[in-house]
Amino acid sequence: MSSTEFDIKINGRTCTASKGETVFEVAAREGISIPTLCHDTRLEPAGACRVCLVEVEGQRRLEPGCAWKVSEGMEITTESDRIERHRKVLYGLYLADHDLDGEGLPVETANGNQLRELAQKTKPLALHSVDAPRVGRPEDVNPYIAFEPDLCILCARCTRYCDEVEAVNAITLANRGSETTIATAGMRGLLDTTCELCGGCIDTCPTGALIEKKSPDPLPADAKTVRSTCNFCGVGCQLDLHVVGTNGTSRVAKVTSPPPGETVNDGNLCIKGRFAYDFIHHEDRITEPLIRGEDGELHPATWDEAITAAAEGIGRVKEKYGADALGFVSSSRCTGEENYLMQKISRAVYGTNNIHQCSAT
Amino acid sequence: MFGAGAMTNSIDEIRDADLLFVTGSNTTEAHPIIAMEMKRAIQRGAKLIVSDPRKIWLADMADIFLQIRPGTDVWLLNAMANVIISEGLTDDDFIARSTEGFEKVKAATAKYSPEEAEKVTGAPAELIREAARIYATTEKAGIYYTLGITEHTHGTDNVYCLANLVLMTGHLGKRSAGMNPLRGQNNVQGANDAGASPIFYPGYQNVTDESARKKFEEAWGVELSPNEGQNLNVMMKSVIKGKIRGLYVMGEDIVISEPNASKLEVGLNENCEFLVCQEIFHNVTTRFADVVLPGACFAEKDGVFTNSDRRVQRVRKAVDPPGNAREDWRILIDFAKASGYPMPDYASPSEIYDEMAALTPKVAGISHRRLEENIMGLQWPCPDPDHPGTPTLHIDGPLKGKADFQAVEYRPSDELPDDEYPLVLSTGRVLYHYNAATQTRREAGSMAKIGRNFIEMNRKDARRLGFHDGEIVDVVSRRGRIDAEVMISPRMRVGCVWMPMHFEESRANLLTNDAGDPVTQTGEYKVCAVRVEGRNGNGHKNPER
Repeated sequence: MSSTEFDIKINGRTCTASKGETVFEVAAREGISIPTLCHDTRLEPAGACRVCLVEVEGQRRLEPGCAWKVSEGMEITTESDRIERHRKVLYGLYLADHDLDGEGLPVETANGNQLRELAQKTKPLALHSVDAPRVGRPEDVNPYIAFEPDLCILCARCTRYCDEVEAVNAITLANRGSETTIATAGMRGLLDTTCELCGGCIDTCPTGALIEKKSPDPLPADAKTVRSTCNFCGVGCQLDLHVVGTNGTSRVAKVTSPPPGETVNDGNLCIKGRFAYDFIHHEDRITEPLIRGEDGELHPATWDEAITAAAEGIGRVKEKYGADALGFVSSSRCTGEENYLMQKISRAVYGTNNIHQCSAT
Repeated sequence: MFGAGAMTNSIDEIRDADLLFVTGSNTTEAHPIIAMEMKRAIQRGAKLIVSDPRKIWLADMADIFLQIRPGTDVWLLNAMANVIISEGLTDDDFIARSTEGFEKVKAATAKYSPEEAEKVTGAPAELIREAARIYATTEKAGIYYTLGITEHTHGTDNVYCLANLVLMTGHLGKRSAGMNPLRGQNNVQGANDAGASPIFYPGYQNVTDESARKKFEEAWGVELSPNEGQNLNVMMKSVIKGKIRGLYVMGEDIVISEPNASKLEVGLNENCEFLVCQEIFHNVTTRFADVVLPGACFAEKDGVFTNSDRRVQRVRKAVDPPGNAREDWRILIDFAKASGYPMPDYASPSEIYDEMAALTPKVAGISHRRLEENIMGLQWPCPDPDHPGTPTLHIDGPLKGKADFQAVEYRPSDELPDDEYPLVLSTGRVLYHYNAATQTRREAGSMAKIGRNFIEMNRKDARRLGFHDGEIVDVVSRRGRIDAEVMISPRMRVGCVWMPMHFEESRANLLTNDAGDPVTQTGEYKVCAVRVEGRNGNGHKNPER
């Protein structure tokens, strides 16, 4: 145990902790789950949602586990009757100001709804609903991000993400009391703000109040998730491609990041990685091999015809002018295996080292 | 100087850095997720030095911003070396232990005083001094650069100058300290690693090295050419000259992406006798193709991409290619067979990777099977199946034993402004689009943010020339003419303009200069001379119409 490490107790269990850590961090490492709505490991703790309140020995009030720093010998309780009573009231208050389904539970959204999950575990106190005059921006015509005020719990994860991670401060909390909402400067549409359309706000929102316009509804239960690597810049962000439909008609219907802490992008994506997937199924894709005819136009052909024509054409140039009159341009957009094959073709099949890709440029 | 072109650090080390020196990289737009790591470091208290001709987004967060004239990097970096040496801030132990040739650099940089550098670069001498001091005296100091450094006729010199700074301060072989070229494309690292290079077999084994050649001849069962090939820039010039007469182009729009595009179009029309394009969309190059083979995009095939920090990660097939389009690796196998070569019947890219790994010590320990288990991917060097991969390079000293300093003298850019073409044009990428934009121009949000080509210029230039914001103008260089919308911007220096390279209908590369770096032949995309003409009689030197 180093000099900055010490023991604390959580639910009677002895845990090693370091100076500067929060109760939430130590508990997570020990496999003790503390519920939260407003916490995201990429953000500074805000203590805003009050869901993670715990008992700290010697403290009169319940304290937020996400923000409370541990100290030597501290004794923490994360589950008790007192905490359960607190949660019942707290969830009741949230539900009174939330869009509910027929069973009186927070509605399911395309992005899940963590408040719904909490309310399923702990039955909230039934309270009269309030009709909060919180406003959205229905006239915002940006193609990606919508805000549904009736689903917002004002935990400020989105605005803090926009400030602390993306650092563009396009959205902010505005107004007071029950009118508090997620706003932009002058309530302008996101296209007219500093927003870079990264969509991180959608990703971090715990209740689905921020909606991906391209995929606004929950995906069907049989949707597949395929982990892959983004095909734009060289950062190598990992993506989860959400695929709907069956063989032949299957489509990428949504792209998300793996959770924070798991991959090189730490839960983050940019506009291209998260949203620029329409090209995959675009009608302009080339779908047939093409051969240029006598008329100077490209005409559809079978694969056999096209591959034969390609090999004959390239072979003819080699015969006439030698192998070094050929050039093979491979692609940093294609896979490593395809680049390997291309250089093998250039070198082993045609006998020239005239093989490159755009890395010179 | 100390190894292959790749980041010496890992992306997740950025957040722990205490100093970031970002030069020739508009990171927030070209590598937005790496920029998030930089922002995190800065919010934690790390210092930031930015040098760039444009007042890029990161410049607003910088402790020191050096807004240099385009193409004067050697002056700036040699002056920083001068300060570090003259103020005794060098890491003499590291220099003695791990490097050679320091005296040459000491002598060469002696005349690059910050005061003289100020005259050439436009960056204040005092800021150059301060930047040199905090770079040299901060332990966890990392350099991050990209094509703003390399796309010059002195791009190699720029890289040498940066490496000199790294070596004289010993900022190498430690977490968060090193030299980090941020690679521009998803798999540019992997394409080079796999041997798509005129001088290297897979894993940087030289084609002129006889033992390497023997190994590949044995594996592939044929005799191989002992001569170095032509790199892309030279290849394109050979097409223009009629020396290359057959091209097989997979997944690149060479006409929109290469400099001095109009000469290349003539070459493709008149000299190129056969052109095969393997593509997912029609582009400018497919207009010249004799055969077009429809390939698959990343979501439609299996394989690996290798990112900027040498991390090999899986690409997985999620959907089928459209219509009769096919996975590119299958097309290549069939093409090789039709050409009379007994290419093996690989059942999957995993088998292709295994063949490459067996011939390539750097990645010998990597396989698709291991990548299934390693969710974070594996970083090369990874020489055997039990090796965990290498997050930080040169931990045990430079890979090559001793690293060489390289003394560099300033050479001006190939084409400087004059009376006829008085403005300096640089080109680059914007956040919302990607290269030839065949993908992003089909995306509503990208087009809503930036839907057409623009030319960014300083308010003073715009006023002098009589342009207003949003006006359509012609941009003219010795090589071509395109139109664009004026964007008046506080980011630009007076006398400098900037354009993105994404737009097919208004191609910046009709203007750019294909003069190449003497070592890499990389074109000078970042500096060429242009004039801007208005449509209503305003602007500089209007043509007679």
